[in-house]
Amino acid sequence: MTPRWIATGLSQDLPKAVVMAGHWQGHDLAVWRSATGRLQAWNDRCPHRGMRLSHGFVRGETLACIYHGWVYGADGGCKHIPAHPALTPPATITVASFACVEQDGVIWVAPADMAGAPPVLSDLQPLRSISLTCDVAAVLAAEPALQGQDILRATVQIGEQGQQVCLVAQEGPAGLTLHALCGVGADKVAVSRWVEDLRRRAEMKVAA
Amino acid sequence: MIKLYDYVLSASCYKIRLMAALLGVKMDHEAVDFHPGRAHKSVAFAQLNPAGTLPVMVDGAMILTESTAMLVYLAKLAGPDWLGPVDAKAAAQVQHWLAFSGRLAASLGMARLHDMLLYQGDIVVWREQGHAALRELEAALTERRFAGGEWLVGDTPSIADIACFPNVALSQDGGVSLDAYPSVRLWTRRIRALDRFIEMPGIHRLHELSPAPKVA
Ligand code: FES
Repeated sequence: MTPRWIATGLSQDLPKAVVMAGHWQGHDLAVWRSATGRLQAWNDRCPHRGMRLSHGFVRGETLACIYHGWVYGADGGCKHIPAHPALTPPATITVASFACVEQDGVIWVAPADMAGAPPVLSDLQPLRSISLTCDVAAVLAAEPALQGQDILRATVQIGEQGQQVCLVAQEGPAGLTLHALCGVGADKVAVSRWVEDLRRRAEMKVAA
Repeated sequence: MIKLYDYVLSASCYKIRLMAALLGVKMDHEAVDFHPGRAHKSVAFAQLNPAGTLPVMVDGAMILTESTAMLVYLAKLAGPDWLGPVDAKAAAQVQHWLAFSGRLAASLGMARLHDMLLYQGDIVVWREQGHAALRELEAALTERRFAGGEWLVGDTPSIADIACFPNVALSQDGGVSLDAYPSVRLWTRRIRALDRFIEMPGIHRLHELSPAPKVA
């Protein structure tokens, strides 16, 4: 599989000192923002016993595992083991990192050695991330105006107005997620309800 | 003093304990052997609550058996701000979420009882209904965020938030993940950070708000 940037969430859903689950092409990630705002994406398995680090919590510039409290610093290295407080953890206890950048209000992930920048989504504002039980093909079938494969775009009639809608697709273990953006100045509630309606139509196509 | 017939692992009982704690109301607690004793289904308990459900609240001659009614009672007594704004739309929305909390109990709540206490029933349907309810909650909270709102109704937390919170926060116990619901997750964090918030098994105060464990 060619490495590429995948959208895994919206900046607005990851405030400072919060961790959330992310995903890059078969890899579960813990995506987190430190107290000072530093954004990171790590393999979502604690090196100790494999607990999901996305279930953990941020303390300052570190991410702590919820299970036995091992603490990982900005470089992914284990900094503290509560059961052995006097021990300096060996450097080999390190969580694998992914490349993680935010651009246009979207959080993008890729393998650590990824070159280049994510696609630019200018003149848009982030709206919301929404999960679906169908695939991209069903979404495209439900709304013929949408064009694209990973980044679906259309100008759709919502109420009186034509509105720009952009849906960035992400495949994950639980199905499809669409990270939705809309035109600057758009009626966010109206576009959000349109996206809900699109989801119903796309999922119904599959059920039928 | 108000007396609460209580079970520590019950989401509905916790709802009342949490509301009372946030309001600073002290209650007498009587632990009922819900599991495995099924004391809530005993003939003796039926005198208090013929429906055999928990929690039950007794204050003088008044017996309440619906948790949403208990929330209203506690808020009226000790913190009317928690009833939400008084305009017609807001009042209706608070009632909406109180009723909606019943759907959360009937879906996410039943999935959890199935997984934790071995209740019999269709776990697939309960989880599906749980996700359907979470989608509605996510949509509503997302629209609130567009307007700068952080709570289900109004500018401050209300009984609407407390009614819906426990079964959502415990959804993982029933095999329903909140990964797909960012606005719901941020809302549960806000509740877990409230002053005077109390915990139950499976629901914790934001860990980052507790002091770091001491290095020996
Ligand atoms: S599994 Fe993470 S600290 Fe033990």
